[in-house]
Amino acid sequence: MERGEFAIIGTGEVPCGNYPQRSEFEIAYTVAREAIRDAGIDVKDIGAVLCAQHIMSNPDNDYNTEMVFGRLPEAIGARGCKITCMTSSGGASSFSLRKTAEGILHSGETDTVLVVHAQRFSTFTPNQQAKYFSVAGSDVEWEVPYGMTYNALAAMITQAYMNITGTTIEQVAAVCVANRRWAMLQPNAMFNHKEITVEKVVNARMVSYPLTTLMCNVLGDGGSAFIMTTAEKARKVCDKPVYVLGEASDYSHRTITRAGMKDFATMSEYLFPIAKTAFERSGLGPEDMDIYQIYGSYPCIQLIIMDALGMWEPGTTGALVEAGETSPGGKYPVTTNGEALSFGHTGTGVGIALLVESVRQLQGKAGKAQVQGARFLIENTGGGAFMDCHFTVLGNEIPG
Amino acid sequence: MSKHEPISIDAIKAMMNLSDEDLKKPLPVPTAWSQPFWDAAREHRLVLKRCSKCGNIDHPPYLYCTACQADEHEWIEASGKGTLFAYAINYFGVPFPFWADLPYALGMIDLAEGVRMISNIVDCDFEELENGMELEVVFDDVTDEVTLPKWRPVRK
Ligand SMILES: [Zn+2]
Repeated sequence: MERGEFAIIGTGEVPCGNYPQRSEFEIAYTVAREAIRDAGIDVKDIGAVLCAQHIMSNPDNDYNTEMVFGRLPEAIGARGCKITCMTSSGGASSFSLRKTAEGILHSGETDTVLVVHAQRFSTFTPNQQAKYFSVAGSDVEWEVPYGMTYNALAAMITQAYMNITGTTIEQVAAVCVANRRWAMLQPNAMFNHKEITVEKVVNARMVSYPLTTLMCNVLGDGGSAFIMTTAEKARKVCDKPVYVLGEASDYSHRTITRAGMKDFATMSEYLFPIAKTAFERSGLGPEDMDIYQIYGSYPCIQLIIMDALGMWEPGTTGALVEAGETSPGGKYPVTTNGEALSFGHTGTGVGIALLVESVRQLQGKAGKAQVQGARFLIENTGGGAFMDCHFTVLGNEIPG
Repeated sequence: MSKHEPISIDAIKAMMNLSDEDLKKPLPVPTAWSQPFWDAAREHRLVLKRCSKCGNIDHPPYLYCTACQADEHEWIEASGKGTLFAYAINYFGVPFPFWADLPYALGMIDLAEGVRMISNIVDCDFEELENGMELEVVFDDVTDEVTLPKWRPVRK
């Protein structure tokens, strides 16, 4: 990919939360129309339609089959569509979808790609959700028989990180507080009506020591979409395209016990070269970023990823968050939609929502959450049991 | 560590309308290449798969060596000694079959042989758990067919 070869020109999103009456199809059609209108393109320009995999789809709710078999282009009237496809890399899906879109654009078959995510969890019973999600990050043969859970996985990483770096539980809780403050500014966030405090987060019900309920993300129904084009077309149809300036990836493991980084305090040492490569490819450095859109899903992971940016001394980012520097009005805006902890966890859509928010910020369309004059930001995503990491530098201009 | 009252399994069963089937614990389903591990566990032995070509130990084991792709391997007796790298204590929000066990400790154990394992830390007060502490393997016969290796603090 050349720097600034591709751009995102429009986005759509529905509120995240508990909406059992709103089907995945309704979400998909709604966010697609919103993204097309926002981009200011004709629906017939769309040559490829990509969908994120729906989590827990079953025969009674076969969104995945319908999407794989081309329901969406027909339903939205995308008569110029040539290519449909469903992609998933779990939590990293925003990246694999965007990479797929870039490949299609690079092939020259079309210059306009629509990417859509839709998810509903509220129609599944708590038992189904617990069965699926509590163990999704764990190995069924080697971990699940011991009562392993996703939360316990994050809890162990947090426990090790605190032990090695001296980060306090109050600093970990401060990440949840900062995310909530951002979510309060987001009309579509699941938790945008009530502030939380460090004291409240620390004293909430213990789920998996050292994590309380307010340190664990909550599943929500939601969805979003974006339109991606070549930079050439973007400049013709859009006042403020958001360019992909640099990206870099790495994969580590499936099973956390086989992670390349054995020591979670130095997890940032594994992540640092990935961020560094993304920065180098963009021609910018961490200090040039106006926003840091960190996908952590759990508060400690946000700190570990901040540690990896080359901007702050690893292990000190908890104090930075505690001081309010990453909150609205702070010096370093981090994760401006509140992410999985406060925007809501929509399965493969958490990273897509963060990407969509990144585009809104750089287009000046982020409403109350708008970081004034934002030009460049770094965004990350990852999936599974923290199996991989992808960093992307986005900008509303291509730096000289 | 938790000041909230635990919710009883009977209350959960009624609230969620759970069947006995829903409360059955998941058990490992061995693959052709992991069967020797579970067979040994039944005999209260901890074994690891070591490549005969390059000496790499894989845990979890895979079909062939993840370092050199060789098929040739041997199952070695592990010392049963390890250290605690990190831990978590589950208090709430676990799959329903584990509800009756709450609270319970999970740990990442670094084995003397160089591999890492996730398991339960048993026979301990949670307060005494400490990163780096010495652990030893114990065997929990969870059914007539299946034994899970677990770990406990070494008593001096
Ligand atoms: Zn080998």
